[in-house]
Amino acid sequence: MKILYTTLAIISVVLSLILSILPFGNLAFIPIVLAVLFSFLLLKESRKEGKSTNLIKVLFLGIIVSLSVSIYRSIFTKNTVVETEQTIEKEKQSEEDALKELEDIELEN
Amino acid sequence: MKHFILSIIFLSVFTSQAQNNTFGDGEKLIFTASYNMSGLLTDLAQVTMETSEVKTSKATLYRLKCKAQTYSKWNSFFKIDDLYESYVDPSDVKPYLYKRDINEGGYKKFVQYNYNRRAGTVKSLLRKFPSKGGVWDQKNTLNIGSNTRDIVSTIYHLRNLDIHKAPVGAGDSFTVLFDNKETIINFKLLGKETINTKLGKKECYKLALSISGSDVLKGKNSNLLWLTADKNKIPVYAKFEVAVGSGELRIQSATGLKN
Repeated sequence: MKILYTTLAIISVVLSLILSILPFGNLAFIPIVLAVLFSFLLLKESRKEGKSTNLIKVLFLGIIVSLSVSIYRSIFTKNTVVETEQTIEKEKQSEEDALKELEDIELEN
Repeated sequence: MKHFILSIIFLSVFTSQAQNNTFGDGEKLIFTASYNMSGLLTDLAQVTMETSEVKTSKATLYRLKCKAQTYSKWNSFFKIDDLYESYVDPSDVKPYLYKRDINEGGYKKFVQYNYNRRAGTVKSLLRKFPSKGGVWDQKNTLNIGSNTRDIVSTIYHLRNLDIHKAPVGAGDSFTVLFDNKETIINFKLLGKETINTKLGKKECYKLALSISGSDVLKGKNSNLLWLTADKNKIPVYAKFEVAVGSGELRIQSATGLKN
C-alpha cells in the first residue's frame, strides 16, 4: 500500500508542478488536491511503520510551491490578447479588398 | 393544434423582414470563450464582435466583424487568429459579402462569398494553404434561397427579431451558408431568465439552438444563447456542447450600443 501511495503522491506532485507553470488556469488544483491526499496517506503509513519522512517533506514542499504558483497566477495573471501589427494590417487589408469587391453592388432596398 | 398555432405565431414574428433597430455602427462587444477541461472552465480566447460603417461609391453598408483570438499565454501552444466578416445592408442585415479568414494552430483557410441577391446566387472562393506550400483555390457559383445568410449576419439578424412577441416554446429556423453548404440552424425560445453578467443583472431571452442533419452540436437544449430582453438584444452568455467537449462564452464589455 505504501508503494502505491508513494507512486501516486509523486505523480500528483510532478503533475501539479507542471500544470502550475503551464497556462492551464485552475486545472493545476486537481493534482494538487490529489497530491495532498496521497501525501497524507503516505505520512500515516510511514508513521505507522516508524520510517523516515524525508520524501514526504519533499512532496509537501512541491505541493506548497505548485499551490503558491497556481494561486498567484489565478489572482494576478490577466487574460490579454496581443494585437500584432500583422493582425491589424490583415484586418485593414481585408476591408480594403472588400470595398473593391463591393464597388459595383447596389442594395435591394 | 397548440403546436400549429405556436408555429403560425412564431413564423409571422420571426420570418418577417425584420428591420434593423437593435444595433448601429460603432458597436463593440467583447467576450471571453472558455473551455471545460476536466470539469474546470479555462479561459481560452477573446471573441470580439464589432460593427462599422463602410461606403462604396453606390452604397453604404455595415461591416460586421467577428474576431476570435487566443489569449497570449496560449499562443505558444495553440494559436487561434480567426477573422469573420459580413458586409450587410444596414436596414435589413442582408449580406452582400462574407469573408472568413482563419488560422487555427497553423491550419489556414480563407472563404469568400459574393452574394448576388437578384439572381439568388453566390460566387464562392475557397482558398486552402496545403502544408507542402502554395495556395489551392476553388471557385464555385452556388444557388441559394432568398433568406440564406452567413453565420455572422445570422447572429445579428437574430437580434432584430421581435422575440418579445413570440410565445415560450416556439421555434424557427434560419438557413446559413457555411463551407458551401446551406445549413439549417434551429432556434427555440425557452423563456426569460435573469442572469448575472459583467454588465450587471440582465433579464434575458433564453434560446436553444440546434443544427438540422448535423451532429456538431450535442445534447438536447444543451446549446443555449441568452439575449438581453431589451431593445439592444445583446448576446451576453452562450453555452455550447460539441463532440470534443463543452464551453461557454461570457460577455466582458459592450460599448457603442444603439439603444
